[in-house]
Amino acid sequence: MADKEKTKKFINRLKSRNIVRPMVNKMYAEGVTAANEGRPLAWSMVNWWEGDIVMRAMGVTPVYPENYGTVCASTGMAQKYQAICDAEGFPTHLCGYSRNHIGYAAEMKKLGKIPPDAPLGGMAEPTFMLGSGIACDTRFKWFQALRQYYDVPVWTIDTPSYDHTEDIDSDIHEHNIRHKVKELERFIEFLENLLGKKIDMDLVEDYLENQEKVFQLWWEINELRKAKPCPMHSRDFWTLMVPGYYMTYDKDALNLYHQVYEEVKARTDAGIGAVTPEKYRLMFAELPPWHSLDFFEKLAERGWNFVVESQGYHPPEPMSLKTGDSVLERLTRWTYWVNVGHIRKAKEKNYPLFGPVQYYYNWAREYQVDGFITHSLLSCRTATFWLPHAANILKEELLVPSMNMEGDIVDFTVFDPDLVLKNAEAFEESMDYHRGERKRKGLEW
Amino acid sequence: MTTASLHGFAKARKIYEDRGLRARELKAEGKKIMGYYCSYPPLELITGMDFVPFRVQGSINEAITKADSSIPTIVCPIIRSSLDMAMKGKYDFMEGFVTAHSCDCQEKFCRIWEHELKLPFHHYIDMPHVVRENSFEQFKEKLIMFQKAMEAYTGRALDRERIQQEIRVHNRQRALVRKLYDLRKENPPLLSGAENLEIMIALMCMPIEEGSIMLEEIIQEALSRGNGPGEKDTRLMLWGSPLTETNLIQMIESLNAHVVMDDICVGTRHYWADVEATSDPMDGIVKRYLSEIKCPRTFRESSSTFEEEMESRFGYLKDFARDWHVDGILLQSVKYCDTHGYEVPALKAYFEKIGLPAMYLEHEYTMAAEAQLKNRVEAFLEIIA
Amino acid sequence: MKGKYFAGIDIGSTMTKVIIYSEGIRGQVIGPTGPEHRHLANIVMEDALAQARIPFEAVDYVVATGYGRINVPFADKQITEISCHARGVLHFFPNAGTVIDIGGQDAKGIKIANNRVVDFVMNDKCAAGTGRFLEVIAETLGVNIKDMGPLSLKARNKVKISSICTIFAEQEVVSQLSEGIPVEDIIAGLHEAIAGRAFRMASKLKIEGDVVFTGGVAKNTGMVKALESHLGRPVYICREPLITGAMGAALLGKELVEKAMESGKAIKIKERKLTTARVF
Repeated sequence: MADKEKTKKFINRLKSRNIVRPMVNKMYAEGVTAANEGRPLAWSMVNWWEGDIVMRAMGVTPVYPENYGTVCASTGMAQKYQAICDAEGFPTHLCGYSRNHIGYAAEMKKLGKIPPDAPLGGMAEPTFMLGSGIACDTRFKWFQALRQYYDVPVWTIDTPSYDHTEDIDSDIHEHNIRHKVKELERFIEFLENLLGKKIDMDLVEDYLENQEKVFQLWWEINELRKAKPCPMHSRDFWTLMVPGYYMTYDKDALNLYHQVYEEVKARTDAGIGAVTPEKYRLMFAELPPWHSLDFFEKLAERGWNFVVESQGYHPPEPMSLKTGDSVLERLTRWTYWVNVGHIRKAKEKNYPLFGPVQYYYNWAREYQVDGFITHSLLSCRTATFWLPHAANILKEELLVPSMNMEGDIVDFTVFDPDLVLKNAEAFEESMDYHRGERKRKGLEW
Repeated sequence: MTTASLHGFAKARKIYEDRGLRARELKAEGKKIMGYYCSYPPLELITGMDFVPFRVQGSINEAITKADSSIPTIVCPIIRSSLDMAMKGKYDFMEGFVTAHSCDCQEKFCRIWEHELKLPFHHYIDMPHVVRENSFEQFKEKLIMFQKAMEAYTGRALDRERIQQEIRVHNRQRALVRKLYDLRKENPPLLSGAENLEIMIALMCMPIEEGSIMLEEIIQEALSRGNGPGEKDTRLMLWGSPLTETNLIQMIESLNAHVVMDDICVGTRHYWADVEATSDPMDGIVKRYLSEIKCPRTFRESSSTFEEEMESRFGYLKDFARDWHVDGILLQSVKYCDTHGYEVPALKAYFEKIGLPAMYLEHEYTMAAEAQLKNRVEAFLEIIA
Repeated sequence: MKGKYFAGIDIGSTMTKVIIYSEGIRGQVIGPTGPEHRHLANIVMEDALAQARIPFEAVDYVVATGYGRINVPFADKQITEISCHARGVLHFFPNAGTVIDIGGQDAKGIKIANNRVVDFVMNDKCAAGTGRFLEVIAETLGVNIKDMGPLSLKARNKVKISSICTIFAEQEVVSQLSEGIPVEDIIAGLHEAIAGRAFRMASKLKIEGDVVFTGGVAKNTGMVKALESHLGRPVYICREPLITGAMGAALLGKELVEKAMESGKAIKIKERKLTTARVF
């Protein structure tokens, strides 16, 4: 969108979000510094915290190629790296983030150094790579394939698929936790062998305690967002993703979440919304169009407030930890719980069960949303797979209508904000209609 | 027409052309049909519970009309087609359906299947991506869960002896399949690649022992018939994602080439490894299904160097190529298959290293582009010649 | 091979090319394939025979190549354009290592080592990055396709074309025109986009040796320049870049006959008639 259109803002953004930018820069700078100083550096997949804490406790600095995909996309470098990946013979339908990073790695290999034009100082050559069995196959195949360029060890922390047992008290959950603890133990062994030193479990526990505090605050912020009007827009959530995802061990992250909490609490108490007037409450799935976020201003102008979003990126719900758990059990329980907790919640509230799309179902009711916006991503099968199914369930069960917009995580040309805006009015009519239908059928909102 | 009067090649052809034919006959006789997906649900447990296993596949010849309302178009078209066919009632003879976490798309699609089809029995087998000691323990746990779920559903217990007996039945079929594959070591091969695929698909749509009898008949027929596939210049091996029809192989074999060997899950991957006899038979099953099936969905621990890793991941293909006198490799994958897609550059590098020509062919699960694919295969054959 | 005649016919999507070879080129004709695919191919052949002053029956061996090669009733053998282009290019440039061919509806890269094709890549799924793409845009711009090359060399600030999809690029070009951007800058931007695409495609082959640029688009000087800047090295162009496929076809036919004669076996010659190619 042209700059001149940017002047008027309709979303009341959080002031505390301004702390985030320097934290992101710090994260990337740390990676390059670690490599320059000869300290171990990992290229790591998002691992829902457990691997990060272990790596940090071992003195490893992780950097995250998935996040670097968004960075390269927003700086316009992704096109170049993807083209290099294509030239290396990888199919063009693969994950956009992986194509970006494989191209980046091939380029760095060819130059023998970090490409001088790499955004945020680039990512230095890794000591090892850490894949993850969570979420999609790409997240371990990608690093396996990269070994062709960087012949360093590749480890994968595996995981059970979480939410296929809707019986929350089933033994299988304890089996799964035991398996996950073993996965962490094996990973620690791997690191100890690779780096020639022992892990400091006290440090792991310190980090974990920090993380638990972050989760608690984060959770409470989410609870506050149920208020009408909703005090925090999805845009602020997305801004907070980097610290919430990669830095929960860090005191700075805890400080950040404190400040965010205070600000959101103050707004809630004063009845201030992120969008005024809040005519429609929307839920967004899953990753946003990073390059066109200003587009949400146009929707805010119409009174659209985005109150909850991106189910794969939220903290686990608070749980009472089993006494007698080891530190690793405690650590992995949180990661496990992030994908299972919503089933318990549904049972608690006597909601019907919908497996993988339970999150959306719960949220639609708890946040009382009027509409569900799905963003299907050309090169991310995982974030796109459930969307039609979830939309069907919400429509059938809760009379919440949905609208899809096509986009991609890297290729900006796919997303057409004008087309979505053109359809917005019709969607408002649909939301109005369904609001009446819900009332008629006796739903809560 | 029933299958009762058919034998050997003719029977395989008939069942290949009408996949549900045998299953519908059996259902009419009171048998219970258990649909399964991919090569990972352990068939020994399914037949041990007196279910007839039926491999669910998509169809390249069937336009997807119903599934698109539930599944996005950017995911595996074979999976989309499979769901579509199920939603249209083409698998209405199935009493249950079981899938495993062989790939991400499957994990997700099975939940949509569950919601849309609501079969009396539905089970998902969670399986590790990684092969480590604790992965075996974990997988065993999940297979026991599968067994218990079937026991609870049927009200019948599956004991050790029965599992051991089933292992023998399935291993016998595997041995016969390997014997069938031996017929293509000959030059010219005694059966074509397209015939072979027809047989493989038919086998997956009929009871195991009946399939073994059919295999024996086919082997006899192939040895005694005079009109095999004839002389051709090039012997190819086919690697990659599942094929649900013989079209691609037929196209290749319409040119000056035989497909003499494969590494696909409607071929060697499904049948190659036996289940070892172990004191707890479940241990043998766990080992076979988790680590012996060579699908790129599995992450194998990295060796100390990339070279060694390639050898441990792809070495079996070198053995296949040597034993079947292969002149070139066709790496094929359907578009949107991630696990196969990431494998391509490393495989090409490996084959280049061992001096075997290899070409990657991507297709979109439609024969609309057949002329283009054919042109590429022809050019590849000219390179090999 | 004294006194023997070999014909190569390359039936492309828009143009049919014929070479009659006998110790040198005896006939060389380029003519339209015809509105119905391959409809006029036999007429191009007749013209070439007239040039060589021989009747069709005097031709010892005919090899057909190109997309229209199938079901040509007057060919003895069909060989893919990959092999034929490579062979033809080697005739003109014995040191060629990589061929980049951009034709009417496809683009391909061929890698050659030890006088053989060792690898190839192709884009034949859509018009993007092919001669057809340039034709469409030339029409939009109201420029004769032949003038595009020279015009683009006058560009001062070549524009960036973000989409290579023919439809989208056309829209983009229309909006650039309306913004008053000079035509030569737009054309230079288009050349840049197509050359970039061809370069990335050919990069899959790990470009080595002399690079030869063939196909109709190689006649466009602007494209040649854009491709050279991507490659960082000069490219070689045949005097007639359209003819390499037919040339290679004729030469491969000659070699087949020679090989058969050496081994004492008579090469199989089909019964052939110079008639219209069947349209399916």
